[in-house]
Amino acid sequence: MSALFKPGANTSFRVTLVVLALLLGGGLVAGPMIYVRSPYFTQQQDPVDQPVQFDHRHHVGDEGIDCRYCHSLVEKAPNAGVPPTSVCLNCHEQIWNKSPKLAPVRESYFADRPIVWNKVNKLPHFVYFNHSIHLKQGVGCVTCHGRIDEMALVEKAQPLTMGWCLECHRNPERFLRPREEITSMTFRPRDQLALGRALKDQYHVHTRVSCTTCHR
Amino acid sequence: MKLPLAGQSRPWRSVEELQSPPAPSRELGPAEPPSRREVLQLLGASAALATMGGCLKPPDEKILPYTKQPPEVTPGNPLHYATCSTLDGRATGLLVTASEGRPTKVEGSPEHPSSKGGIGVLEQAQLLSLYDPQRLKVVQYKSELRSWRDFLATMIAKSRVLRDRRGEGLRFLMEPSSSPLIAHLRQRLLEVYPRARFSSWSAIPLQQIHDGAQLAFGSAYETRIDLSRAQAVASLDADFLSAMPGNARPMKDWAARRVPPNMARLYAVEAHLSVTGMNADHRLRLKPSQVHRFGLALLGRLVPRHAALAKRFSFSAEELRFADVLARDLQRAGAGAAVLVGARQPPVLHAAMHAINAALGSSVVSQAKPVLHEMDAGPRALRVLAEEMRRGAVDTLIMTAYNPVYGATSDINFAMALSQVNTSVYRTLYADETAERAGWVLPAAHPLESWGDARAHDGTISFQQPLIAPLYAGVSEAEMLAALFGEGDRTAYTQLREFWQARVPELGRFDLTWEKWIADGFIPGTAVKAESPAVNHDAVLAEAMKVPPAEKPGLEINVVADTKVLDGRFGNNGWLQELPDPVTKLTWENAALLSPATAAELGVEQGDLVDLTLRGPPARAPVVIAPGHADGAVTVAIGYGRRSDAETLCKGIGFDTSTLRHSDLPWFAPGLALVATGRKARLAQTQQHHSMEGRIIAVSAALPKLRETEEMLEEQRGAPLSFHRPWDYSKGYRWGMAIDLSRCTGCSSCVVACQAENNVPVVGKDRVWRSREMHWLRVDRYFLGEDAANPGVVFQPLMCVHCESAPCEYVCPVNATVHSDEGLNEMVYNRCVGTRYCSNNCPYKVRRFNFFSYTSEYSDQEKMAFNPDVTVRSRGVMEKCTYCVQRIERARIHSRVEGREIRDGEIQTACQQACPADAIVFGDLNDSGSRVSRLLSSERRYDLLHELGTRPRTGYLARVMNPNPELA
Repeated sequence: MSALFKPGANTSFRVTLVVLALLLGGGLVAGPMIYVRSPYFTQQQDPVDQPVQFDHRHHVGDEGIDCRYCHSLVEKAPNAGVPPTSVCLNCHEQIWNKSPKLAPVRESYFADRPIVWNKVNKLPHFVYFNHSIHLKQGVGCVTCHGRIDEMALVEKAQPLTMGWCLECHRNPERFLRPREEITSMTFRPRDQLALGRALKDQYHVHTRVSCTTCHR
Repeated sequence: MKLPLAGQSRPWRSVEELQSPPAPSRELGPAEPPSRREVLQLLGASAALATMGGCLKPPDEKILPYTKQPPEVTPGNPLHYATCSTLDGRATGLLVTASEGRPTKVEGSPEHPSSKGGIGVLEQAQLLSLYDPQRLKVVQYKSELRSWRDFLATMIAKSRVLRDRRGEGLRFLMEPSSSPLIAHLRQRLLEVYPRARFSSWSAIPLQQIHDGAQLAFGSAYETRIDLSRAQAVASLDADFLSAMPGNARPMKDWAARRVPPNMARLYAVEAHLSVTGMNADHRLRLKPSQVHRFGLALLGRLVPRHAALAKRFSFSAEELRFADVLARDLQRAGAGAAVLVGARQPPVLHAAMHAINAALGSSVVSQAKPVLHEMDAGPRALRVLAEEMRRGAVDTLIMTAYNPVYGATSDINFAMALSQVNTSVYRTLYADETAERAGWVLPAAHPLESWGDARAHDGTISFQQPLIAPLYAGVSEAEMLAALFGEGDRTAYTQLREFWQARVPELGRFDLTWEKWIADGFIPGTAVKAESPAVNHDAVLAEAMKVPPAEKPGLEINVVADTKVLDGRFGNNGWLQELPDPVTKLTWENAALLSPATAAELGVEQGDLVDLTLRGPPARAPVVIAPGHADGAVTVAIGYGRRSDAETLCKGIGFDTSTLRHSDLPWFAPGLALVATGRKARLAQTQQHHSMEGRIIAVSAALPKLRETEEMLEEQRGAPLSFHRPWDYSKGYRWGMAIDLSRCTGCSSCVVACQAENNVPVVGKDRVWRSREMHWLRVDRYFLGEDAANPGVVFQPLMCVHCESAPCEYVCPVNATVHSDEGLNEMVYNRCVGTRYCSNNCPYKVRRFNFFSYTSEYSDQEKMAFNPDVTVRSRGVMEKCTYCVQRIERARIHSRVEGREIRDGEIQTACQQACPADAIVFGDLNDSGSRVSRLLSSERRYDLLHELGTRPRTGYLARVMNPNPELA
């Protein structure tokens, strides 16, 4: 009977051990790195419940209200701003003014207590993002926020990680659109790259990737 | 470095250093360092925990929008409001930044005619006091909690009784005030209570100024100075270049006169080295009691009819020579000459000053009627009141003056007098020593929470508007006074508006006028007119002849107002407590300052605890050897040694000087006894921190040798040799800074501005002692010359110079400090793992490390003071000056949205904005027309440690002094 293990078996065993150890070690490093980039961790496509059953599908999709009607600060301030309750009542004073779904809104308005919304697009506090400049340079709402007009409950459409930000900051022409189409949910140019390059020159887009551009 | 420069000797920072060259600084570690095994264990554990921390999902956050948004508010964009800050009755114009409804930064109002945008340390640091969680929050009656309504009810009952007695026994002890509204309320009170009496009190009164003017002019005046016309100025104990209230304008004007070639000259005669003394071209140190004698001798030299005074007083040959040269120089300068006298000096010297300035025909000084309601707010008036109280003649005492129990001189014994008063009411920010002994204690509304008015240092009527609703149940002075005639429910705003409405004649136009006044913060053209009253020389001479020719020999006490806590009212303010004193660089306490010779004579050393005794119980003080101090005198600062339990930050810090002050001689007195106790104190003095290892970096040259110095400085600028090809920054913006040492007075206003803007934490005395203070910007102070008794002084504000080839960047193992495309040296807090290599490799020693999480224990109120545009750093990361990158980015976004380039001057760093002397200029170096480019092309420009090839973006302009050849 020949030997069960050939003379080379010891070596193969040792090599296997080393490979396993390397895989395990690599996994220990790579695992968390993959994990923090997964949609599970970044909370993408995870609809967030809100105290008021506000449906963007209806307001944006059906009624075609421009984003800036409610998010009116977006062109002049760092934050787009969740609208004050009074903006809701501009319309709902007249229509659906007895709807039970709007009870929290009326209560907020008359009791002068803010509605407590749950934040969807969370950025760490050391990131200083500014909406106004991005709109000015031709970055559309849908580019970062996704098809809001198709969301019953708003969810995070993009990972909002630093790598994702830098994708655009390094190659803005892939995402730019004319300022007139900023809030359009359906704008699709025939040749994005050609348009992007032209707009980059026209709008004097000089995206920066220095740390202090966003971190201060 | 190839310096020393012409006329510049090796700089030194303390007497020890002068005697022995500086030893390399050493980090102070624990007595028993941990073992290697323990270090590895801790390292492993923290690495594992840090990894775990990265796996946590971001916390849930809420958004709370307005229900009805105010039209002027855009969340995320700060608003600016003009208001004013009133200290001792006179206002400084402010521009306060409000972020989402909370004030976050106090700056000088550039449009205010009195201060022109200048601001001192106290006004800026008021912001921190606003959010102090230890402020008094509720109305108290004999330490029991009450409500404002309870107080009103009591006052209604009380006022009925008082009205029947026509106000007999009603007394007011007020904070000195110039407010027209308060004047009106006082008048109304006197109509209701004709026998009531008002008096003012301040631990730092201006009464001797008024008395001096009374003597010289027969009427009270205050001196206004316009230093833009100055040619030769003699300061007799007048500290007009420190960052104290009212000095903003003189500093601005003076700084402009210190730019070569046409420079003004400054002489200082004083006992202790003051900020003004540090800036003087010639400085004579005299015992405190000699300063006014010197002034009178000067009068004798300058004005023939006072010639009898010239030889009346005994001075040394050197002092006489100084007086002769000074007199000649003042005479030469004529209209450009001025003698200025400090508020602590006796009336006779103020009168002599008026006589000299009138004889010289000085156009620098003019006189203006005082704006304060009471001319005498000093110990004399308080003494009269205290006598009445002791007699039992005071039934009701209303107090708004700051803390008289603590601040009054000991012989008045105000605490005892207060116990004889039936009903006492005290309005205060903190439950201080006086609150502990008063009946009703009302929480004061902070100046940033209340409406009011006041007159500025030039008399301009200024308005104070709130930036935030009162955080606690604070009441303003006007509301409290109105409660005494049954109008306690009328808010200060209603009172103020109605008062001014009654004074605008045009009907119907008031709303617009009012809006404009409040938006500007002042009423234009309301400055008090300058006058030139005639000097009564006979009265001055008669009074001067009463001054005995010589003071009693022996040790003298010299009491000064503190440059940080003032009279104690800012004691609970961490920014101010930790601010190094501009002269001694002492933090967190006061000390007994002695000249090196006197210390040697008395056998005491730096840090020795000594007992100071003067007609009373001793005060125990640590000794600080102060070069430039007069021999035979001890200088102490008031405002420390606080005892109230409510203010934990300042309780027990330093020593109380009240036992050394007496109402007859509150500022200087002979007969001081100093006894060493044999014990030592640990002083947190920053002067030795961040050693430059003996390199000469602050360049100072005399005007005649300027040419020579400039030639030497030629080697200290330009592109250094390098193996590397330098990065190309010629496109876009290239940020840089110029600091003109000739303008800088060393006042430290910039340090507080930086701390407020950049969320720089306060670390406490023990950590300052360990050289771990966090200030991004420090003002180095170096002594020059071999004479420790009276050295020259040069100072240099120093923060990160943003090297183009930065030594810190090469050594960071994790790329946490990198360069931006515009050449900023950036610090990435999230990448930093705290190796501190960068700090070790920084030749400028401007990096600061967070040894602890200094801000995590902040209360919710304290967090409101944070600038929302700047990251609050945590434990274990390095930080340093960013050139206020948040302001750059805000300006960039603003300009891009408007579709233009950033204009020159659009970005002002916090330090630049606060600098009353305009010594700091920031801007784009690629724009050859920008102010910073023009300044940096000066022949005086040099780069710090140029030979290291770091290519710093901050350039310095050498300081130039203008000595008198006759005294050289």
